[in-house]
Amino acid sequence: MNQRTIVIRRDVQAEQKADAASERERLGRRGTLVVNLLSSPGAGKTSLLEATARQFAGRRSMAVLVGDLETDRDAQRLAPLVPVVQLTTGGACHLELPLVQRGLKALGDPDVDFLFIENVGNLVCPASHDLAEHLRVVLISTTEGDDKPGKYPKMFRTSQAMVITKLDLLPHVPFSVEAVTHDALGIQPELDVLTNCSLDGSGIASWCDFLEQQHQQRLAKYHEPAGNR
Amino acid sequence: MHERSLIRNLLRQVEQIVVEQGGNQVAEIHVQVGDLSGVEPLLFQTAFDDMVPAVFSSDCQLVLEVVPVIAVCGECDHQFEIIDFQFRCPECQAGSVRVIQGDEVTLISVTINSNNSIEGVAS
Repeated sequence: MNQRTIVIRRDVQAEQKADAASERERLGRRGTLVVNLLSSPGAGKTSLLEATARQFAGRRSMAVLVGDLETDRDAQRLAPLVPVVQLTTGGACHLELPLVQRGLKALGDPDVDFLFIENVGNLVCPASHDLAEHLRVVLISTTEGDDKPGKYPKMFRTSQAMVITKLDLLPHVPFSVEAVTHDALGIQPELDVLTNCSLDGSGIASWCDFLEQQHQQRLAKYHEPAGNR
Repeated sequence: MHERSLIRNLLRQVEQIVVEQGGNQVAEIHVQVGDLSGVEPLLFQTAFDDMVPAVFSSDCQLVLEVVPVIAVCGECDHQFEIIDFQFRCPECQAGSVRVIQGDEVTLISVTINSNNSIEGVAS
């Protein structure tokens, strides 16, 4: 009996990352910006999508894939506004690309301006899974406490934008927008920070403007001649 | 708890390596993780112990090495260790830094036991 050690040095998720990159490229070339929305349960992802759908109505097209462990409650909320498919993970704490691709197929692979993926409410595991998004947005509500970025650093490190939600509750809760922003920027200095309240609509117009800018900036490379990339 | 899906992935890759390299028993799987890899070492080990007997012998050992998170500054190329998840370059204060270690689960090596006849073909 001989023993040999074979050196590999490879990311265990390399294959999944390559699949995500090619799906991202396919959707980007078509003009669909994929936005992965992540947060704790109840931070307001579905409410933000409802407000976004109202703001974009008649101007920009969007579709939603919404992930939960069980039920299609979120899909039912969004269905009157936009094309939506519920992804139920049956207990898994995060979405993975094959489930997203199945959902996209169930939606009819629509040629929309924005595809939103509402991830399972969880600030831990979803951070480790690339769902072919061009933009990762983490939501934090004023009721959660401003100490969260430091506690869940990977989520904030891997996001490009942070949206502080439920701003209407700010007078009633011990939450500092300044403190949470400072904490998050230490972890991800390039993070864009936005604030809003989906219920009264404040900050929704600037959130949608931000999305339009991101659409333009992040998809520009797919429209340039190959030589310029 | 997504450690199980990572272990499933890992074991599938090691299975393929064993097929490619020849051999009949995996003695050791060496994996590197860091503070940004999204893995809790204890949970990873538990998931491994739980799942490995279905694929390889339960004698197969996981060597789990925890490494520091290392980044390189996009402005001044300074290489530094990330402490307390603070990602500004300590030299030039730039915020554009690239993580080069500690943000993924890396399969470092696989140690295979093989009998002599297969060894002759594979190496």
